[in-house]
Amino acid sequence: MSSAQIEIQLIASLVAVACAIPGTFLVLRKMAMISDAISHSILPGIVIGFFITHDLNSPLLILLAAFTGIITVVLVEYIQKTGLVKEDTAIGLVFPALFSIGVIMIAKNANDVHLDVDAVLLGELAFAPFDRLIIGGTDVGPKSLWIIGMILLITISLLIAFFKELKVSTFDKGLAASLGFSPAIIHYGLMSVSSVTTVGAFDAVGAILVVALMIAPAATAYLLTTDLKKMLALSIGFGIFSAVFGYWVAHWLDASIAGSITTVLGLVFLLVYLFAPSKGVIAVMYREKQQRKEVSLLTFLLHLKNHDEISERHVKHLNEHINWQKVRSRSVLDLALKNNMIDIENQIVSLTKKGDEFTSKAIDYIITNRDAQIEDMKDDFFLFRG
Amino acid sequence: MENTIAVKVDDLTVAYNYKPVLWDIDLEIPEGVLMAIVGPNGAGKSTLIKAILGILKPIAGSVSIYGKPYEKQRQLVAYVPQKGSVDWDFPTTALDVVMMGTYGSLGWIKRPGQKEKKAALEALEKVGMLAFKGRQISQLSGGQQQRIFLARALVQNASIYFMDEPFQGVDASTEIAIINILKALRKAGKTVIVVHHDLQTVPEYFDWVTFLNVKKIATGPVKDIFNDDNLTKTYGINYKVSIQE
Ligand SMILES: Nc1ncnc2c1ncn2[C@@H]1O[C@H](COP(=O)(O)OP(=O)(O)OP(=O)(O)O)[C@@H](O)[C@H]1O
Ligand SMILES: [Mg+2]
Repeated sequence: MSSAQIEIQLIASLVAVACAIPGTFLVLRKMAMISDAISHSILPGIVIGFFITHDLNSPLLILLAAFTGIITVVLVEYIQKTGLVKEDTAIGLVFPALFSIGVIMIAKNANDVHLDVDAVLLGELAFAPFDRLIIGGTDVGPKSLWIIGMILLITISLLIAFFKELKVSTFDKGLAASLGFSPAIIHYGLMSVSSVTTVGAFDAVGAILVVALMIAPAATAYLLTTDLKKMLALSIGFGIFSAVFGYWVAHWLDASIAGSITTVLGLVFLLVYLFAPSKGVIAVMYREKQQRKEVSLLTFLLHLKNHDEISERHVKHLNEHINWQKVRSRSVLDLALKNNMIDIENQIVSLTKKGDEFTSKAIDYIITNRDAQIEDMKDDFFLFRG
Repeated sequence: MENTIAVKVDDLTVAYNYKPVLWDIDLEIPEGVLMAIVGPNGAGKSTLIKAILGILKPIAGSVSIYGKPYEKQRQLVAYVPQKGSVDWDFPTTALDVVMMGTYGSLGWIKRPGQKEKKAALEALEKVGMLAFKGRQISQLSGGQQQRIFLARALVQNASIYFMDEPFQGVDASTEIAIINILKALRKAGKTVIVVHHDLQTVPEYFDWVTFLNVKKIATGPVKDIFNDDNLTKTYGINYKVSIQE
């Protein structure tokens, strides 16, 4: 690996981490769209900043552009507050307006401005290592690496300092307010971090990839865990993985790095969406199938409990007595036998003591819905897990 | 008993988008009462609580807790929001939600430690939910979620408790468990204010009541003011409840 390759992967990974942290909270606050809005509406801020500083990496430009991000949020909230339109509509009204102002400003000044819309939206990671930061004559590394590194450092410090405040205000705004943690301060803090990160990263990776890096890893992690800290760790992990793996995909296919990283992010999400242990599509389908089988089992056991007549309990006749189209009676019989709930003697089925107790308990639960008594059954039967 | 006023509301008007939903409310809640706030849907009950707790900014009027503004008295107040107001799919456990009750006394930045965890576990024990401490909150039943909220308020160890419909969607036995906890709080000298919808149980559960429908209709001891007249004024229809003596 050449040092440029290492630097590109390092920049991409740092951007991924810097995005995953605010992204996790945006996803939990159901504000994914706002990151998209910010990523576009910072354009006029960048252009104005560029007029003033003539340097895409200047901290002043970053602050100016981030400020446009905050204005976006304020405008969206203002329009939403009028009660005339919903949040998504308000977002759809604000960011195209700001974005087009930026586009017009670039077009009007095309001659003096070395800046184009494509560069802002797509960035070019491959060129990032060429823009070096030189301090006192020594080359200390790519500028973007330093910028995103600084932003990441600030983000991590804020996360550590205000983790509990972020958590409580995201989960329960009312409680946070009553405890004295102003949800507005936390909200605008999060918005500021998201804006600064977006601006800081756009030059290297482009605004589109920033959005993907904020939302996709967090959305993927959300499917896998029920613990906020783990969700953060997983989003960071997915972000870094996609950044590095995406880089190599681009390398092998000779494709755009940002495009490849976005594709990998999408694929990782798809895989997790399908195969996640409890929230994944396949797990849900499996669970539903098991549940259906267990309902049949219960119906079957209840039938045995209610009928003493031999004719009602003959293996061959079960199909007629209980309406089993959905599940093969064989699999239900197997399940019951495996759990020692029935005996079969001369083709006649009868309940064992265990089966009898299970049936009573299960029916009692289904009627009363009293959770405490069936805690022990939850491990073995999907039906009772709710 | 000399009546100390725990909560005093003066000329409070609260609006959403400049449309007032509470008009000129005056209210004094004496210390040590177990009070129901009753009124139809949309009467402004939740809004009143939120305004008292500084969650909403009133357009007029003031609130004091033991004679001082709420901001100075946060530590004395605990709040149980309406259950639907939070995202139950949030990645967190029952114990963690209860711990959130301790955040107020910690203040900004400082993190909960062993002491806070112990207090949270005790509160879970009190509401009979210790066995569920590690459970993800979306995997709790509605009544269990309500108990978790109650435990979170208990852990705040406050003097005044505001609860927005703690009996919403809970079964009879949970309701009894909750009301027993509330009665124990009153016995310990705490003031408990509960938004309540089941008018039948008001005389049995509460000793104080406030009728609210955009304006305050009446407030006082249940035995004096819980009558058909006030109910009719509040609910608009001719209301008849039979109150057993
Ligand atoms: N965030 C909001 N924005 C605009 N209007 C609101 C908002 N919240 C409540 N309202 C309106 O304010 C009025 C009072 O609402 P509030 O939630 O206080 O009623 P409530 O008495 O608690 O009702 P419920 O019994 O249904 O809980 C209602 O008309 C409601 O539509
Ligand atoms: Mg309400």
